[in-house]
Amino acid sequence: MEVSITGARVLFRLPLGITITETQVSMWIIMLVIGLLCKWLTHDLKVKPTSRRQVVAETIVNTINNLLNDVMGVRFKDFAPFVATLFAFVVFSNLSGLFGLFSPTADLNTTLGWAIVVFIMILSTNIKTNGVGGYLKGLTEPVVFFTPLNVIGEFATPVSMAMRLFGNVLSGSVISTLLYAGLATLSSFVLQKLPGFLANIPIFQLGIPAILSIYFDVFSGVLQAFIFIMLTMAYVSNAASSE
Amino acid sequence: MAETLELLSIDFWQTLMAIGNLIILYFIVKKFLYKPVNEILESRAKEVDDIYSEAENMRKEARTYKETYEDKLNKVKNETDQMIKKATESAKLRSEEILNEAIAEADNERRKAENDIYLAKKKAMEDLSTKVSSMVVELSKQIVQKEIDLDAHQKLIDSAIDKLGESV
Repeated sequence: MEVSITGARVLFRLPLGITITETQVSMWIIMLVIGLLCKWLTHDLKVKPTSRRQVVAETIVNTINNLLNDVMGVRFKDFAPFVATLFAFVVFSNLSGLFGLFSPTADLNTTLGWAIVVFIMILSTNIKTNGVGGYLKGLTEPVVFFTPLNVIGEFATPVSMAMRLFGNVLSGSVISTLLYAGLATLSSFVLQKLPGFLANIPIFQLGIPAILSIYFDVFSGVLQAFIFIMLTMAYVSNAASSE
Repeated sequence: MAETLELLSIDFWQTLMAIGNLIILYFIVKKFLYKPVNEILESRAKEVDDIYSEAENMRKEARTYKETYEDKLNKVKNETDQMIKKATESAKLRSEEILNEAIAEADNERRKAENDIYLAKKKAMEDLSTKVSSMVVELSKQIVQKEIDLDAHQKLIDSAIDKLGESV
């Protein structure tokens, strides 16, 4: 039997080398779901909440706002929608594997793209706070000799963020695939003496992968999303207060 | 087997699409979740402020009302106090008047009665003296069996009776 671990399936190719893969389709579905969810949660809002939906919507907004206040301070209030978006996108992407979709976060291009957005935010916040000169000067500290290291450190931030998320999600799917393959081999080994199709009954694949899925898809998925937004907030607020 | 990307591949367009999707989703979340929720939170905060200021106004109003009523109550109390005092005084005066009148009237009555008694007594005395003197004369006439000078004896007896009356 053959086990292969590959990237996203290419669905079709457009001119200019644009490829549409499962990642894109999953992302569009996730965006649609999040958009509809937001619309559903916030339709018919009242000053005196009468629906559980509204309480949920307000709780989400308030939780993100409080988290933002705690980590970054009040002056980053306008940052909240971005953090909420990022969190929702990462969580839904990580959980989309449960619904048979390809996890967009299992594609390095996705996590890299998001990390680049975060990096641009860190950079712009830093430059807004310290000015271009201040930022460039900050790279030469504490001594000029450290400049190359500081530049590498700057670029390490998005790369590490992208790799962390991608690696966690990918590792989950790799382990799941390996486990499935291993259990299939074990099943066919145990049942090999049985005649006909009975030898192919996947007795071990039932149940055991679900437990691992709870960890890798649900727990790790939410945790990594949380880590991703925490790092984003920490880096951006650090950029605003540095030097 | 379908065509797939390499496990670790970086594709410019794919990365760009991920960035674009994130930005699009940002606007979706901002418009459909944050804007309405923030609006509702703001209007709620405003409503709460309104309720607070209204309550404050009502409290102030209530305090002024209370002061006014207390003033009025005090005034009324003073007035009634005065009225009661006045009434009590006038009643006292009137009762004294009545008492004095009664006493005077009683005095008059008594005096009149005394006078009457005096007159009656005097009359009775006179009657008695006349009867007694004639009785005595009659008696002595019978005892002595002879005519006595009525006038002389009358005088004598009268004086005796006068003395008797004074000692009574």
